[in-house]
Amino acid sequence: MTAFKSFPARGRTIIGALFIGGLAACLCAAEPQAGASAPTHSVAASASATNAVPPAVKAQLTGAELYSIHCNRCHPERYPTERTAAQWKTIMLHMQVRANLPVKQSRLILQYLQENSGR
Amino acid sequence: MNKSLKTGRLTFAPGLALGALLLALPTAATAEVSDADFNALKETVQRLSEQVQSLTQTNQLVRQQHEKDVQQLKDLQTKLAETQQTAADAEQAQAQPIPKVPMDEATVNHNFQILGDAEVQYVNSDHQNGSFALADFAPVFLYRGGENILFEAGFDATLANNAPNSPGYNTTFNLSFAQLDYVMNDYMTLCAGELLLPLGTYAERNAGWLNKFPDDPLAVDALLPESGVGAELRGAVPFGDSGKFLNYSAFVVNGPGSADGTGNAGSLDLGGNVGIRSDGAVANLHNAPAGGGRLGVFLPFSPRYDLELGISGEVSEWDNAGSHLWAAGVLDAALHLGPNFEAKWQYMLTRYGSDDLGLIRQQGWYAQVSYKLAGLNLELPGVNNLELVGRYDNLSNAYDSANGVFSGTRRYSVGAIYYLTSALLLEADYEFINSNDSAQPSTQLILQISYGF
Repeated sequence: MTAFKSFPARGRTIIGALFIGGLAACLCAAEPQAGASAPTHSVAASASATNAVPPAVKAQLTGAELYSIHCNRCHPERYPTERTAAQWKTIMLHMQVRANLPVKQSRLILQYLQENSGR
Repeated sequence: MNKSLKTGRLTFAPGLALGALLLALPTAATAEVSDADFNALKETVQRLSEQVQSLTQTNQLVRQQHEKDVQQLKDLQTKLAETQQTAADAEQAQAQPIPKVPMDEATVNHNFQILGDAEVQYVNSDHQNGSFALADFAPVFLYRGGENILFEAGFDATLANNAPNSPGYNTTFNLSFAQLDYVMNDYMTLCAGELLLPLGTYAERNAGWLNKFPDDPLAVDALLPESGVGAELRGAVPFGDSGKFLNYSAFVVNGPGSADGTGNAGSLDLGGNVGIRSDGAVANLHNAPAGGGRLGVFLPFSPRYDLELGISGEVSEWDNAGSHLWAAGVLDAALHLGPNFEAKWQYMLTRYGSDDLGLIRQQGWYAQVSYKLAGLNLELPGVNNLELVGRYDNLSNAYDSANGVFSGTRRYSVGAIYYLTSALLLEADYEFINSNDSAQPSTQLILQISYGF
């Protein structure tokens, strides 16, 4: 068998850095504001929109729908009342990173959980 | 006031008429006055007298009403003064500092949380005595330091019997991951620390109560590192408003190392190379970081009907001399058809060079399906809490460094999960194993109780 030779280490490091840097630059250019906090749609607003259009052309998923889509992919759903609003805020940040969810969808889920939380 | 003056004039007019009449009387007294005229005059005087009396009474009533109006006006002026005083007091109070009140908990800027899971497992393999194989407690500590910063660390404390001919038991306490997450914007999060590596999805989603089987797929355990020390950029970009998104991860970690510093095949240590040597020096054992990443796409068709696909990989030097590469490639897929059916698949392939055996190719995959009987809508006690699971997994050409041989293993697993609650699970798994590795049993029963918190 032949040995599995590597590229020069420095070359790989440079290529990796360029890849990550380029990706970061593209994404920063696409969304310059950092850490915007207000969701673009409220759950209530989305719910009313849901009633106004047929499901096939629904404009925006609600927080409750996103919650049932994403959480159930890995574990049985937990009741929103199991945690307080502040606890959900921390847990959703953890889940957003762990499941690599879009931030806007994560905010809608958090809004749903907080509105129905134990306190 | 005008009304009062008008009334006064009305009172004065009949009096004036009466006076004029009296003045006229002396001249008339000299003349003859008939009885009819006298009576008419008398009636006139009486009528005027009655009018004067009526007007006097009216005047008195008007005066009384006027006095009441004046009193009401005074009362209103008093109330106005009081209202003006109240408003002035309120304005003054508003200018003073607002006293502190307890904050709404949802707005607090930090929060500490503990999540995690715990398992107790019983194993009965053929040709061996059944036993409680392990007790595992795996807490995850979360600390949110603001809107966009999270520190998270997972530990794994496991109690297990010692090896044969050794007394007692041992307890291991491992740091599964410890990372700082900074959400830079809607599309990018920086993570640093000991990271769960996104090689497939299993490493990041395999906590005891998340996994539908009590043990890991063979190839995941044998071929892929679960974590690495380094930094990572990750994020997700939605397309459309129907929940679809692309997500990515790109990481640089120390990578695997060599257990004894050589480049021999049996020395590959996927979990090693954390940057601190046994002599205390801080060093990457092969002086080059590993790089890797994952690109995934999530496609929901409707709530709970979705498909997720991913491709991932990692490349690194692994021997101290830096003359050999280790590389891994992974494909993963997950399908949900309603709330009750799930299917997962993951293919793993690794290559690494060695001094003694040259290029070593290993691969394996697993596929599993599960179905919750609640979907059948049977009105039988307990059935709705039951989920049936099945899995096939294999591992090809795995190098056994202890014995210096290559082996292959195929395993068929069937089982069931009973949900006591949404977070407390009873798992039963029966495995049929076909392997040329003599250490593997041919059948195995595993029972586990899992709790997620």
